[in-house]
Amino acid sequence: MAAQVLIVGCGRLGAMVAKMLVDRGDRVTIVDIDAENFRRLAEQPGLSMIVANGTSNEDLRRAGVESADVFISLTAQDTVNALAAQIAQVTFGVAKVVCRINDPVRREMYEGLGLRTVSPSLVMTDLVLEAVER
Amino acid sequence: MYVIVVGCGKIGYHLTRALLSGGNEVVVIERDGRRAEAAAEEFGSIIIASDGTEPTVLGEAGAKRCDVLISTTGQDATNLVACQVGKSSFHIPRVIAVVTDPDHVPLFKTLGVDVAVSTTELILAHMEEEIAGSGVVHLLPLHGATTSVVSIHVPAGSPAIGRELSGMITPEGTALAVVIGRDGLPRAIGGGLLLEAGDEVIAITPPEKEDELWRAVTGEG
Repeated sequence: MAAQVLIVGCGRLGAMVAKMLVDRGDRVTIVDIDAENFRRLAEQPGLSMIVANGTSNEDLRRAGVESADVFISLTAQDTVNALAAQIAQVTFGVAKVVCRINDPVRREMYEGLGLRTVSPSLVMTDLVLEAVER
Repeated sequence: MYVIVVGCGKIGYHLTRALLSGGNEVVVIERDGRRAEAAAEEFGSIIIASDGTEPTVLGEAGAKRCDVLISTTGQDATNLVACQVGKSSFHIPRVIAVVTDPDHVPLFKTLGVDVAVSTTELILAHMEEEIAGSGVVHLLPLHGATTSVVSIHVPAGSPAIGRELSGMITPEGTALAVVIGRDGLPRAIGGGLLLEAGDEVIAITPPEKEDELWRAVTGEG
């Protein structure tokens, strides 16, 4: 079933995830504080781009956080991602919240606190090691 | 006490000065190199020029034996993460965050921040007292702020002077506690006590009954 997804941060990673989810049939809203970052995405049905602060309750409400099934925070800043994700999880009770935490030590801590996290640096480390061994 | 201050902007700087002069042991973590340098000129070697949201940095700052961590940066996200790392990775007994967006206050508390200080709310609370000018001053919030202990001032020339409080009908859900005279001494309500100019009537009331209570006590409005 198509999910309603809210993504915070339209950097390279956020934009790619948004596009892949829309292509797969999900309805995606992506927010960024800088409209300039939406240049990474082409308009297409099922995708909304909204200039908004992903750590503001009011802005998130405007972006439809209350009807989101999935919330993903993917900005370049761990701290912003952690705050946005916890607002979604605790304040708005979004069912599935995924959060990018680059620092592996903090990632472990947030996993312990009940957040679903992804760490690009850990993923990259695995890929580099795999390439070295190939 | 051993205190870690994260962020040496205006709040962090003055806080550090006050904490040091109070005889506390203080370490300050400031990410901005130039700001850290300026702070080091005044405070010496207690400044760490690094990111206070990183567990390794907090570890080096002695977070394990720290009594209080106070995160004072202008970014709520930074202050939250510094507090969460301090609390869950280092078990710091008391973590305090400065909060810019008042909407974040309940969330921060739910997430284990012991004290979330909203600068906006602090200023507004003071301003509301000034603006309202009703003479109802908040002394202490009770029961998660559903009721407060307040003080109602009786100014010179007030129609309340000479009134007897013991038989007075006050709004439902409010209660008068005690009267403090101009001499600073408490006088019990009852026994024919009459209000005098300069008295402070200490009462308990929910916020929505404040005006009504004030009118009942002072006979004004």
